[in-house]
Amino acid sequence: MNALKALTEMQRLTSPFPESVAVKEWKATGRKVIGWFNPYIPEEIIHAAGMLPFEVTGDNEPVQMQGAEAHIYANSCSKVRTCWQMALDDKYSFLDGYVSTHMCDQDMRLYEVWSYYKKLPFMELIYAPRKRTEEAVQLYGTDLDRFRDRLSEYLICRIPDHRVANSIEVYNRGRELMMQLYELRKRDRPPVTGAEAVEVSKAAARMPRERFNELMEQLLDEIERSGREIKKARRLMLIGNDLHNTTQITALESADAVVVVDEMDVGIRRAWGQVDTTLPPIEALARYYLLGRPVDKHHWNSDGRLEFIGDMAEQYNVDGVVSQAVRFCTYLGWDKFDLKQQMQERGIPMLELDLEYGHPGGAQVQIRAEAFLEMLESHAAPAS
Amino acid sequence: MSNDTILSVEDIRETLKKMKEGVKQQPGLMKSTYRYLDAVSGYVERVANAKDEGAWVATHGTQQPLEILEAMDVRGVFNEFWGVVSDIARLESVPEAMSVSASLGTPGEVCSFFRNMDGLMHVGKWPRSDMFLYAASVCDNVKAFHTLGRRYGIPSFGLERSFLPYTGHAIEFWKNEYLRLIAFLEEQTGKKMDYDRLKDVVAKSYRLTELHLEIDRLVANVPCPLAPECFSATLVAIRCWPGTQYGIDFLTEVRDELQERVNNGVGAIENERFRVLWSTFTPFFDPKLMGFMQQKYGAVSVADMLSTWRVDENVQANWMLDPDDPLGNLAYRTVLAPGNCQYSTGVDVGTVLSGKCRRFKVDAAIFQNNWGCKTGAGYGPVIKDELMRQVKVPTLTLHSDILDHTFISRAEIEGQMDSFFEMVEASKTYQERRAVA
Repeated sequence: MNALKALTEMQRLTSPFPESVAVKEWKATGRKVIGWFNPYIPEEIIHAAGMLPFEVTGDNEPVQMQGAEAHIYANSCSKVRTCWQMALDDKYSFLDGYVSTHMCDQDMRLYEVWSYYKKLPFMELIYAPRKRTEEAVQLYGTDLDRFRDRLSEYLICRIPDHRVANSIEVYNRGRELMMQLYELRKRDRPPVTGAEAVEVSKAAARMPRERFNELMEQLLDEIERSGREIKKARRLMLIGNDLHNTTQITALESADAVVVVDEMDVGIRRAWGQVDTTLPPIEALARYYLLGRPVDKHHWNSDGRLEFIGDMAEQYNVDGVVSQAVRFCTYLGWDKFDLKQQMQERGIPMLELDLEYGHPGGAQVQIRAEAFLEMLESHAAPAS
Repeated sequence: MSNDTILSVEDIRETLKKMKEGVKQQPGLMKSTYRYLDAVSGYVERVANAKDEGAWVATHGTQQPLEILEAMDVRGVFNEFWGVVSDIARLESVPEAMSVSASLGTPGEVCSFFRNMDGLMHVGKWPRSDMFLYAASVCDNVKAFHTLGRRYGIPSFGLERSFLPYTGHAIEFWKNEYLRLIAFLEEQTGKKMDYDRLKDVVAKSYRLTELHLEIDRLVANVPCPLAPECFSATLVAIRCWPGTQYGIDFLTEVRDELQERVNNGVGAIENERFRVLWSTFTPFFDPKLMGFMQQKYGAVSVADMLSTWRVDENVQANWMLDPDDPLGNLAYRTVLAPGNCQYSTGVDVGTVLSGKCRRFKVDAAIFQNNWGCKTGAGYGPVIKDELMRQVKVPTLTLHSDILDHTFISRAEIEGQMDSFFEMVEASKTYQERRAVA
């Protein structure tokens, strides 16, 4: 299987992680980089301020905990501790600011610890509503406007509506292109592996979006011209917490299977839908980020999340679902029982993996994946 | 699997009755102990009798405007209280209920208040509930209310509260959520809200706040007049009996006894060596630990975070902003109230607790890092550092589970406390503080 040139270029630009070629080039022109942590931060507002939005995550190399747990105890999510360890190790010293939401307790506490022990020049916290209602859109929209004001103060320049509108166009284009890639993965033989698809999605949040969009166009073109196909017997869906260490996905795919769709924030949610360009831009962003994407784990009412998973599994014609949860993720913990029931009702086999964020995909994942695939074989085999 | 160890409502009710009678025979306790146990068992009675008395029952979490329930004759079952009272009645019940929860696939890393509820619901021992009520900005575990509600066919309503509740738009939103809650309750019960009654309930609730703060001022005395057997009296009154005459009478009795003890120089113990703040919750999983600490170390528990109003030298808990706007008052009250106001930043909580350390003349703090609590795991270190920075109070961090006594042994706790109190006593700050006292 040939490497995709456009993806290789994305990876070159976003390496080494996190202070990559793209970041260094950006900073070299005197512009600022704002880190963001979870999917309720509209990157468009940061983009409209002329700053680079950069998603704070771990990556494909595991991070040794050497001090993080003095500030965030070990009975908390390893993604949060990983990112804090990286901050302590000065891996994120290129950030001029950091913005997060109270999407979950642990996101909020990472923000707080960062603000307390290693404050950056710009720091902001936004509330991410749990309800998907009109009233919640108003509440969130007011907070987004306040975020724009605070960023304007930091910039010492008003971020006007028309610039936000322009950024929405840029990001909408990116979403459209990423969604096209998802559509291609519906083919019997998808053109990319699950690990490659997540690498693409990661790059979207680590480099200037205009450049990313250009590379996405090249990538789609390259796929069409090359007729690239992944020839694997089984189709899988990956759900649960974000996996930024794609070696875990590679481990799954080392068996005779390919991940064709997911339910992750770093995956399909990043590609999903469009911001309404006919509305005032801040309202449009509030509406899109709260209502315009599939229900996620942080919403109280998970019915929509479970339905979405079931629907995608059917649309992408998957043989099985791999549900992975990072330990101490309270939201996924409370979805477990109903998720299992939902998958059973739909007749979709499911493999449950409890992982630590950032750990490399090792034999443990491979062995479980192989056993799961064997089970799928027997599931698919006609009765003798 | 046998579920015999798991307590039913009836089991808890009977055990509390016996305990209440038992304290009459025990010498050396505060007089209010009987009344305290009466308040605890009375709450359970109200829940147990609800069906026979035709009352509605709502299982709920924190941040709830309980006065609205009181005004609509809806009886609350506070899920956290139910876990605590289970520990008081029989320590073995909670771990057993949590093993049932685990058998359903619920991970062991989520909060044990909710795992206990999960297990009890599965075995049919949770109080009969007509609805579930919960709120955001409490903790992520409140999602369990929706999940369990769906599983058992119980309607639920969640209140959305911004994590940053003090801005104009956020508090207005919070108040409007109460209107939506009332609409939900009206729909469920078929009764209309009587706003005159609500005003009366709110006024009584405000009186309870005043009594709580009066008690705080008395407890701050040296020696501390409050004994461990009544330590949670204010919290029980505020969380279980808000807006009721019963709650007012109960706290009035506690206050009067404390005043008498202060007048007579009676302390919890004779030789008070250390004054302790529990900078999260008190040891629910080991109800006798505070008494043990008094005996072994002369360490008296004088304050905790859970029964803290968000007050300091500048901010008072005067939440009755307009007597004709009960919902506006309640919106402010719930964000200042004990058990609610700690859902804030670590710096804010650390500052409120530092003020408390000054007023209560605290020597040492104990932070319980509850295994299932992500809020605590995230802001415990900040609170610890703020207590040291602002008031030079050192903190012992105990890694525990809020309800499960099997998580950490008494021997392990004792070992940690031995060295902690030794360290506190040897510290220059402690010696200076004692010299001044």
